[in-house]
Amino acid sequence: MQAADMSTPGALGPSVSTSALRIESLTKTFVGGRALDGVDLNIAPGEIHALLGENGSGKSTLIKVLAGYHRPDPGSLLQIGGLDLEVGSAHSSHALGARFVHQDLGLVESASISDNLAFGPGFPTKWGTIRSRRTRLRATAALEQMELDLDPGALIESLSPAQKTGVAVARALMADSVPDSGQPAGDVQLLVLDEPTARLPDSEVEHLLEIVRTVADRGIGVLYVTHRLDEVFQIAERASVLRDGVKVASEPVAGLTRDALLHHLLGAALEQPHRLNIADESSSAAGQPKATLSVDRLTSDVLTDVSFEVFPGEVVGVAGITGSGRDALCATIFGARARDEGTVHIRSEILPARRPDLAMSRDVAYVPAERKLQGCFLDLSARENISIANLRDFWRVPLLSRTKETAITKRWFERLGVRPREAIGQPLSSFSGGNQQKVVFGKWFQRVPVMFLLDEPTQGVDVGAKAELHSALFDAAQEGAAILMSSSDVDELVTVCDRVIVMRSGRIADTLHGDQINVHSITRSALGMAGDVVEPGSESANAVAS
Amino acid sequence: MIGINRNLGFDRYSGLYLWASLIIVFSIWQPRLFPTSATVHSVAANRAVAAVLALGVMIPLIGGVFDLAIGATANLATLSAVLLITNGHSIAVAVIVAILIGALIGAINGFIVVRLRVGSFIATLGMASVLAAVQIIVTGNSQPRSPSNSTWTALTQTKVLGFQIVVLYMLIIAAVLWWGLRHTPAGRYLYAIGSSPEAARLSGVRVDFYTWMSLIASGTLAGIAGVLYASLSGPSLSYGPALLLPAFAAVFLGSTQFSPGRYNVWGSILAIYVLATGVKGLQLVTDVVWLDLMFSGGALIAAVAVAGGRQRAGAEAKRRELVRQEDHHDRSSMGEPSAPAGEDGSAALST
Repeated sequence: MQAADMSTPGALGPSVSTSALRIESLTKTFVGGRALDGVDLNIAPGEIHALLGENGSGKSTLIKVLAGYHRPDPGSLLQIGGLDLEVGSAHSSHALGARFVHQDLGLVESASISDNLAFGPGFPTKWGTIRSRRTRLRATAALEQMELDLDPGALIESLSPAQKTGVAVARALMADSVPDSGQPAGDVQLLVLDEPTARLPDSEVEHLLEIVRTVADRGIGVLYVTHRLDEVFQIAERASVLRDGVKVASEPVAGLTRDALLHHLLGAALEQPHRLNIADESSSAAGQPKATLSVDRLTSDVLTDVSFEVFPGEVVGVAGITGSGRDALCATIFGARARDEGTVHIRSEILPARRPDLAMSRDVAYVPAERKLQGCFLDLSARENISIANLRDFWRVPLLSRTKETAITKRWFERLGVRPREAIGQPLSSFSGGNQQKVVFGKWFQRVPVMFLLDEPTQGVDVGAKAELHSALFDAAQEGAAILMSSSDVDELVTVCDRVIVMRSGRIADTLHGDQINVHSITRSALGMAGDVVEPGSESANAVAS
Repeated sequence: MIGINRNLGFDRYSGLYLWASLIIVFSIWQPRLFPTSATVHSVAANRAVAAVLALGVMIPLIGGVFDLAIGATANLATLSAVLLITNGHSIAVAVIVAILIGALIGAINGFIVVRLRVGSFIATLGMASVLAAVQIIVTGNSQPRSPSNSTWTALTQTKVLGFQIVVLYMLIIAAVLWWGLRHTPAGRYLYAIGSSPEAARLSGVRVDFYTWMSLIASGTLAGIAGVLYASLSGPSLSYGPALLLPAFAAVFLGSTQFSPGRYNVWGSILAIYVLATGVKGLQLVTDVVWLDLMFSGGALIAAVAVAGGRQRAGAEAKRRELVRQEDHHDRSSMGEPSAPAGEDGSAALST
């Protein structure tokens, strides 16, 4: 579709012959392993090039090398706009015209657009006083260049997520010291967008893609990192796939199918063996077992009329794109988020809204997605993190039993493979992300919950640790616990779940069983693709967003 | 805060070393005046009230809440106790009512912070001003007579092993708080709330309840401090607010001692007496009157700078660590355990 309009890349660019980005045999070795191995990549001016790869495939290392943060191994060639990048120098990367927009946009929410655009390059001043008219004019010019119809005086916090990203892009493209002509950044060659749509609701994605096209139309090469396959087909001309540090494909999108792309992404070893189907056993054995969790017409700011049940021993996944309500479901059930209507029962007891302590007394466990903010206490020790949720068990008047605490912490360190093993008295901040997450799980496991509510349970966890956490969850399920797991990692849902609930626009769109549980059908359902490709910014999504 | 065990404790016990060197320096400098039991006894007793106030400041601070009204509360409690006694009430009644006034003020602070969702800094700053007004209303802004009652003064001035008994009271309060904060669930919850209120809430901790309780505790301690001061030094219209800053200075300084990074009882007490020793020694050398103020203010700033610098160093070490781990994850997706995370952090911290 849009790719066709772009079939003449470079025509608008500063020079047709040079690439916006040229990488040859880029290798980056860290102590003990290779993050990137002989990667070649070529982006023409005005080309939108999608970069895909699983977590840990080397994408972020590649970006960091481009940004001058990492120094690649000798023998790697890196050129931006035809000039050699001085490796390991952020200054050189910037001077050659590489710009980066990260997921965290780094905008000051409470300031206006024009102020945000001036924070980087500096305010135009006279006698030390800001020349507001000129600041405003400059911002207007930058916004026009991006075809953003926004008032420069508007506050960032009043903008939609896509508009914010647009402002961040505009800022990245502004020249360091803007000449009065308001001509921004003649020298920008390459724009790297790192998962720009990861936090955008559906309805906003199309707008962002337009912004990206505008940038490419100016002859700037765009390296577009994403996890969303359909964006690749909508916007990119070519796509490259990294797997385990090796570039496994670099092809024009026109000749690619979704399945081919998935195959590149995941490789041959697609799925780990599915676990024994415990749910079937239990349901057939007990005839009609009593549901552990019953949610009835749950409604909140982002959820509408959600009803479902989870049975003992069952692992139920929640899929859906960001903004679909997927990420709010577990929190709303547990009471971490407010709800407007609907009831939640654990077995036959009602769970009131906004009372995590009561949910816990009904043996519910909740692992939030934001580990650092909500899940753990970084400056308390691992031992204190493990025991906090049931301190009463350690309370032997008149003292908290340090011995018992240590023993139990040790047991969970052992059980979940937390490393370093002897560091139980160290602050949690000294552990790696994966080990922190294991400690969070340890906190809940030792309470022996009947219901696990898990948000992104294995985020930032490497594959080995992931398997350990999954197997611990399976053990819990085998003993009769019910598990509700929301994850943006579709592969994880496929590997682990007996049933997958797919959320769309705050409602349950589909419930998938058995063979239906595969990456393909979950993704299709989450994006609401009945048969043909549907634009993500369809009316229904817009209606919900507005 | 990692690896501090490894460097001979110069860091976590630096206050003790400093204290020892102050004592040695002044003993050599003023050998006849400084190293005497009279000096020890007077310093210990004079700072006991400040120490109790510091402990009061510390409790809500552990949970991330400031109580800036504590000085005004203590002052009001002092004057209430004195007025009650001079108006013919018994000492027991005066003591109990004064302490209850402190608890009540703490409860009101808790209401404002927890229920009205006013930031603790603003809420207690406002409360301090309100209390100053109440104090003027109650006293007519004239200092009441000191009660001429020997039982009343004996309450704090009885000698125990040469020390005035107020020192013993202070140590008992400190011991009880140490137990409460270190060895009971309530204390643990308070530290958890201070670390991350949201994570605490999602771990089932009743954040509002404990926040409220911590302010009641600080108010109560202010009431006790007020009574002790009244008995020890007599009524004063203005001593309370002047003790607020030294109390905070001690708590912040104390958080660098014993359990670095955490506000703790013995660190705060140590800080109070290290500062007192320095001030006392200098007072023997020179007779300028501004030493105490200069010392407290400088110490407060230095303490926060040291503690903050330590945190920044920790954050920086952590950031580097995270970057390394990301690289690590990028490199190999198979879960080889990441390098012992403490190593780097500690190296950066202890330098």
